[in-house]
This record gives sequence, C-alpha cells and structure tokens, in this order.
Amino acid sequence: MNFLSACDVFLSQGFVYSLIALGYYISFHILDFPDLTVEGTFLSGAVAYGLICSNGINPFLGIILAFIVGALFGALTGVLNVKLKIRPLLCGILVSTMLISINLVSTSVGLVGDFTVSGETSIPYGRDVVTLHSTKLFSFIPARLRDFGNIGLRDLVIFFAFAVICKILLDFYLKTKNGLLLRATGNNTQFVKMLSCDPGKSKIVGLAIGNGLAAISGALYTEINGNVNQSMGIGMIVIGLASLIIGISLFKKVKFMKDTTKVILGAIIYQACLTLAQKLGVPSAYNKFIMAVLFTVALLLSGKLKFKGGSKNA
Amino acid sequence: MLELKNVYTSFNKGTVDEMNLFKDFNLKINKGEFVSVIGSNGSGKTTLLNLICGTYDLDDGKILFEGKDITKVKEYKRAKHIGRVFQDPKKGTCSNLTILENFALADNKQKRYSLTKAISKKRIDYYKQIISQCNMGLEDRMNVKVGALSGGQRQALALVIAGMTDIDLLILDEHTAALDPNSSETIMLLTDKVVKEKNLTALMVTHNLRHACAYGNRLLMMSGGEIIMDKKEDEKKNTSINDILTVFNEISIEVGN
Repeated sequence: MNFLSACDVFLSQGFVYSLIALGYYISFHILDFPDLTVEGTFLSGAVAYGLICSNGINPFLGIILAFIVGALFGALTGVLNVKLKIRPLLCGILVSTMLISINLVSTSVGLVGDFTVSGETSIPYGRDVVTLHSTKLFSFIPARLRDFGNIGLRDLVIFFAFAVICKILLDFYLKTKNGLLLRATGNNTQFVKMLSCDPGKSKIVGLAIGNGLAAISGALYTEINGNVNQSMGIGMIVIGLASLIIGISLFKKVKFMKDTTKVILGAIIYQACLTLAQKLGVPSAYNKFIMAVLFTVALLLSGKLKFKGGSKNA
Repeated sequence: MLELKNVYTSFNKGTVDEMNLFKDFNLKINKGEFVSVIGSNGSGKTTLLNLICGTYDLDDGKILFEGKDITKVKEYKRAKHIGRVFQDPKKGTCSNLTILENFALADNKQKRYSLTKAISKKRIDYYKQIISQCNMGLEDRMNVKVGALSGGQRQALALVIAGMTDIDLLILDEHTAALDPNSSETIMLLTDKVVKEKNLTALMVTHNLRHACAYGNRLLMMSGGEIIMDKKEDEKKNTSINDILTVFNEISIEVGN
C-alpha cells in the first residue's frame, strides 16, 4: 500500500510539472532561449487561479486566467529581449524579480483589497472553496480509493487530463504554419527573415506559450499543495529543465514517440526519482540538493551537454 | 528596378579603425538584368548585397526599389520581394525541418502564418516537381530532415525555395563558393534556369570569373567600394576571361592583394 501512495505522489506531481517541461520544450528546446521567467509565472498562475477559486468563480476560468497571465509575462520577457536587446538570462531575471512584487501585491489585493500588503499573503483552500477537485464535472470520479492505497484518483485524473490535452494542443500547434515558423525561428533566424517574417515576433509568441503552460502548472500545483504561498515558484526552473532534458535524452532513440510524450515521461521519471529518495529516508530538507544533482546527471546523460539536435547542423 | 543613390557606408564608425567603404556610391539595375559582380576581398561586393537586403544600414543615401524608397524598411519586410541564397548552404534552409516542411514554409511566404495546417497534401506533387529539376533524387526524400543532406543538395534546395514564390529580385551571395566543382556547376545551371524561367532580376556575387563570364547579361567589377568595370549585353559577350583577369590583376597589385 505504501508503494501505491508513493506512485500517487510522483504521478500527480509528474503530470503537473510536465506542463512546465512542455513550456520549456518550446522556449528552451525549440527556441534555444534559457527562460528564467518561469519561476515567477508559475507562481502567478497559482495566484490567479487561487484568487478566482477563493472568490467563488468557476475554476476553469481560473485556469484560463492563469494561462493568460503567464503568457503576458512570458511575452514581456520576449519583448525585453527582442525590442530592447537585453540578454535572455537577464530578461528572465528582470521579469521574475518584478513578479515577486506583483504576485505579493495581487494576492493581498485579491484577498482583502489591501494595497499595502500588510496582512496575509497566502491563499488557503478552505472547505467552502470550489477548486477543480470539487467542481461538479469531476464529481463522478471517486476522490480517493480507500481500499487501494488511498490514491487520490480524482486529482490524478484531472492532472493527467491537463497534461494530455496540453500535449495534444501543442502537437497540433507545432504542425500549423505558425508552429512551423516557430520551429524555424529556433533553428535559423535568417531563414525566417527571408520568409519575410519577423523572427522576434515568433520568439515572443513562443515565450508566451511556454510561460502560459508554466502558469497552468502552478495553478494545478495548488491543488496538491492545498493553498497558494509565495515560495511556490522556487526551484521550478530546475524541475522544468531537468524533466525536459531527462525525457528528451532518455528516449532519444525512440522514433515512434513524439517529443511531447517524451517530455511528460521525463517529468514523471524525475518525480519518481525524488520520491524514491524520500522513501529511502532522505529528509525533505535535502530535496533541492537532490534535484540539482539529478539535473546534473540528466545533463551528463544527454550527451556532453549538447542535446539540441539543431546546434550541430545549424 | 533597383537603384542605389549617393550611398555612404562605413565600418567601426567613431573608432580609430573607421573605414569608409562606399563614398557616394551609385548603381542602377534594370528589370530583367542578371548581374554578376566580381572583385577582390574587401572590395564591397557582399556589403553591397547586405545594403540591398537591409542587413546593414547605410550612413547616408537612398535605396530605391521599384521606385519606392526602402532605405528605412526592415530586412524581413524587404524580403517579401527579394529572395536570397547565401554562401553558407545552412543559412538558406532549416536543418531541423524536413524538405517537405521547408517547402511548406517557403510556399506560404507573403501570406499569413496562421493556425492552419502547414502541409497541404495537394501541394506535395508540385513541390516534388520543382525539386526534381535538380536531378538529385530529392523528390523521393521529402520526409528527410534537411540537416542530413549534403551541402550541394541543401544549396539546391535553398535556391529552389528562394525562387519559388513571386519575388522580383534574386540575390546570390557567392552561393557556389562552398561547394565542390561538380555541385558548383549543377547549382549554376539551376540558377540560370530559375532566373530565366521566372524572368527574375538577379544579382550574383562570385569569385569564379568563369561563372561571371558565362552567366548573366551584365558584369560589374568592384574595387575599394567603387565600380571599376561595368559591361552590359554585347559588350559583356565580347569580354573574355583574360580581359577580366588583366584588369583584376592590375587592381590586385594596387590594393596589395
């Protein structure tokens, strides 16, 4: 039974974090843009979703709002890079730093209408708050399987559904004209210019999608966490990138699988490793350390830090 | 159709290394001309192309395209009517996309890159037909990633793609320089075919004097940012490689190359 509950933990976290990894698939793998904004937008998504739910509005709107907020700030990172020619790493640092304040203030304003942020800054999900977990749509799924390791089946199904839907939408997008242009932008900007398109524009679009996905991930994560707190975003860069790189490099040779599927599997494997470490009795204070070590291992696995297929040929 | 008027350009402006390349440079290219540009390194051939395409800004002067002033128009916007093939075969195609996807992207030039499916099944035969004129068997390898092709094949694809849509001007930037002699001949023949079929105006920079002589209907020689030889039509036909070589050697001695 212990094993089942462990599976429950890493599967649900894996599905939730796979959205960040999918976001990084766009920004890092396709566009080759090391995007540090994610730490801020992950939390922004959580705050947007938390405020919508705690104010009694439909949680699906919360997810949509989370995506929009994430996409806006992702686009801001892109604009800083493209229009003001600021280096990618700095753009991410600037926007995510900005977001620390924005997230704090909007939490406080959304909760109690206080612009000075003197009171509470976390959003608790009390019994009366309707989140995705407690919407009517999913009520037919048993919340927990008591005889089966007490698995949180309903959450698991919800997270799985989001991961799969986002994956399918992304796969579809990458086959459209706009998606193809995005892939060309990451590979050869000169080619995009010769197509009479602005490569800067595709870059901004890509970063918007990437951070929108990270924000949805943040929103869903609050379901696991049971509240929104201001430190939720910390470590998300490593989680996202490690999941992406583990997935892509581990299944490099697997031809029949789409990259997006590999990324989701990568996220699950990464979480499984972390859960395993915990089950082996490593105190949770060591978590971030283990994360970073696993990431390093993933980088080594990915073939001497050169995992981007295009960089060899482009 | 293309006119450069009183153009000034310089490099490293405001530093000790400041170098004024073009001083009051003028050039007019008429519709239907296939211009070969030759000259030693540093004579300003590639800079000329970069100015026309908008990769570099000019310090002063004007560039007119079809009568419109495009001096301030951004590179990607100018590309709407200009096709360009680079010396580096990797620049003209996208290595992580398949041949088919490269075609689909190029086919959509001048239109909106919307959220509709990129590859239209109806067009595949058309793409195959265009690429088959390269005689490289690429029409049977449409789903191969372009990164897996050889330099010559990539350049052929780049050329075909650049000339596919309705452009007015084709810019060829030493596009055979990185290829072996055989591929280089193939690409030149293909270039000639594309230019003639589409009735394009073309501007070709080359270091191959034989190509410069054999192809095109106008010949320019540049040195130190100036045009020192300009032969058109019959005058060009009567110019032999040796004539060019004589002038070429003279200027080379002057610049110390």
